[in-house]
Amino acid sequence: MTSITPHIDSVVVTCTLLAAGLPLGASAVNFLLPGKTGRASGWLSVLAILGSLILAGIVFSKVWNAGEWSVQQAWFTIGSTTVYAGLLFNNLSALMLLLVSAIALPVHIYSTAYIKAAEQNRYFTYLSFFCFSMLALVVVNNLVMLYAFWELVGFSSYLLIGFWFTRDGAVKANKKAFIMNRIGDIGLLSAIIILFVQYHTFDLTLLFGQNGLVFNSFMRNGLWMAPAHQLPAVWQCIAFGGVFLAVAAKSAQFPLHTWLPDAMEGPTSVSALIHAATMVAAGVFLLGRVYPLFNTTELDILAIIGCFTAFLAATIALTQNDLKRILAYSTISQLGYMIMAMGIDAYASSLFHLVTHAFFKCLLFLCAGVIIHEVQHIKDEHQLDIDPQNILYMGGLRKKMPITFMATVVGCLALVGIPLTSGYLSKDGILIQAFEWAESRAWYYEILPVGILLTSALTAFYVARLIFKVFFGEFKLKEIFPDIHLHISDGSWAYRLPLILLALCSLFPLFSWNPLLYEHAWLFKGFLPVDYLVRENVYHAIVPALINIISVFVVYWAYAVYLQQRKLVFSQKSFLFKLSYHHWYIDTFYQQVVVKAVVAFSQALFWFDRQVIDGLIHQLTRAGKLLAGMSAWADRYIIDGFLLLITQVVKGIGSFFRSFQGGKVQYYLYSMLILMLTLFIIKLLV
Amino acid sequence: MITLTHYLLVSAALFSIGLYVILSKQNAIQILIGIELMLNAAILNLVAFGKFDKINNGGQSFALFAIVLAAATTAVALAIVLNVYRRYKTIDPGKINQLKD
Repeated sequence: MTSITPHIDSVVVTCTLLAAGLPLGASAVNFLLPGKTGRASGWLSVLAILGSLILAGIVFSKVWNAGEWSVQQAWFTIGSTTVYAGLLFNNLSALMLLLVSAIALPVHIYSTAYIKAAEQNRYFTYLSFFCFSMLALVVVNNLVMLYAFWELVGFSSYLLIGFWFTRDGAVKANKKAFIMNRIGDIGLLSAIIILFVQYHTFDLTLLFGQNGLVFNSFMRNGLWMAPAHQLPAVWQCIAFGGVFLAVAAKSAQFPLHTWLPDAMEGPTSVSALIHAATMVAAGVFLLGRVYPLFNTTELDILAIIGCFTAFLAATIALTQNDLKRILAYSTISQLGYMIMAMGIDAYASSLFHLVTHAFFKCLLFLCAGVIIHEVQHIKDEHQLDIDPQNILYMGGLRKKMPITFMATVVGCLALVGIPLTSGYLSKDGILIQAFEWAESRAWYYEILPVGILLTSALTAFYVARLIFKVFFGEFKLKEIFPDIHLHISDGSWAYRLPLILLALCSLFPLFSWNPLLYEHAWLFKGFLPVDYLVRENVYHAIVPALINIISVFVVYWAYAVYLQQRKLVFSQKSFLFKLSYHHWYIDTFYQQVVVKAVVAFSQALFWFDRQVIDGLIHQLTRAGKLLAGMSAWADRYIIDGFLLLITQVVKGIGSFFRSFQGGKVQYYLYSMLILMLTLFIIKLLV
Repeated sequence: MITLTHYLLVSAALFSIGLYVILSKQNAIQILIGIELMLNAAILNLVAFGKFDKINNGGQSFALFAIVLAAATTAVALAIVLNVYRRYKTIDPGKINQLKD
């Protein structure tokens, strides 16, 4: 291997390669083993990811705050361009490596209980493959490999969403997710191509590092000037558009967010790992990697899209009845926060929120998984015709499932951003910086922080609604079907352990010893530029207080609405309710406009193909057939006929002479007589 | 006055009948009879020509030889017919066609 920095550490390199390779090995072994290995394949994957976690911990301890360096080796050469395969070590890769393996471990343990033994082999093949792709994605050092693993992550997500491939919904959902992600992939690919044309390298450090190529390029006279090359300025915008598409598709931002709620058709443990904690964070991670590329206008666009997505998803989450869909929209909303934080230059806060969100959203999904599992159990036992994910059937589960309840409350508080949780630290960081950012600009930029504040309030409301509907009050199924017997619990230790672990990780001590000030979080400090100045101003005191007051008020309001049954909420017939309930009609719009247009276009092409092209070919075949028929006729009746005639003549003559040799003595005599007579007659005549 | 021509006409008629019998009958014995008829036509010719010959009784004595020989050949032919019958269970010459290739 060739090094480009002096302080290369071969232990770290080996550990990283092993950390990414172990899940791949587990996946390969599971793939090759026969399908009846059952729980053994599950534990194999758990061991692999445990190994990855330990190795990632070693890597993290050596790389964190130790500067940026990379190792690489030539992979292949096309023309004069050599593409390298290499690893990049900086704070971001080390953190993501640790985060992904840390989230994946509890999910793996949980899955060993959650997935049926017969399906575990296939499930863990996919899951380990996903872990490999994601772990590799965060440590590669060039755009080509980044793109490759980006695709693999999308592909394994596709496999896992459609894990229960006999369900129609799952198949539709994974197709939708795949197609949406393809749109993003096209964006990323075009951005990579533009960057390569401009800078002649795929290397992330050379491109985006300190004093890298992107730092040294600028706009002048409508040209995008790089040290060695120049392009019209519009290409920079296209590159941004491509990256944005990629981010929007992977991180489920408006307008490409609709696949994520549908992706909830996959197993809940998959939703927890992929569609809440890790894969959807890949978009934010990509933003973090290519951050220096964007100029201020583009960052503003990111901020606006992020803020709008956060608000949109939060309003939709208000009225959904599907437990997992609420969480899915909540995920979209929180991802909107992260994108917006990137846009307002709160790079550190964005990544901080990514990490904290990964823990508490994974926790919430696993809790939802336990609840759904138990309700499904009741459904199967009594053969009820209900949707086990519908929160309208739940209620009063607090006493039956205390650990799940506690874990959900911790996760929800972190999601709302109540003090003492990790969510408070990261979310308030974003909000405060949003206010600071807007202050230095025109007045209408204030819409963004206000919008995000409003979103926080909405978050508090839908979270409170979820908690109250699921855990408080009376169990609704019991009211609808009075004769069912309930014996539901928190489940086995494989359910409880991940919940407890993740709940502890969702509290503040993991990130900061000071539960109130986000600036003191070690993780936050790890991403700050060296010359960052802590600006103490009024927002640092007001915003957290404001949020908490609003949150508490909103939670109380939800309590009043849902538990004391006061009529304080919008009517279910109002326009706003319908807008929210039908996901702002975005899916309907896509269905009506995009899908129908595409289908109509395809049908037109199909018609054209069938009628015009096929018609032409049919005419040609008809002409050919006619010609062939004529040739066949001529062959049959003229050439063959002539030959047949000859054979018939020959045959006739032959038969004629043959008939004299019939073996009958009298015929011989007879013919002799005739011959003699003929001879005599001829002699007489001549 | 019976002339040579009358003898020859009778002889030719006999010969023709014999030929017809040989060609048309489906029984070996009848064919044999046909052969005898033809032979007798020839002997009749011998006798007729002998009557008008300068040397006396040359033709008649030759005819006697011919009759004896005819009797001998008929005996042989009957033996053959008997053997044919044993072998093929028929004496229809049309059905005994193994002479063909």
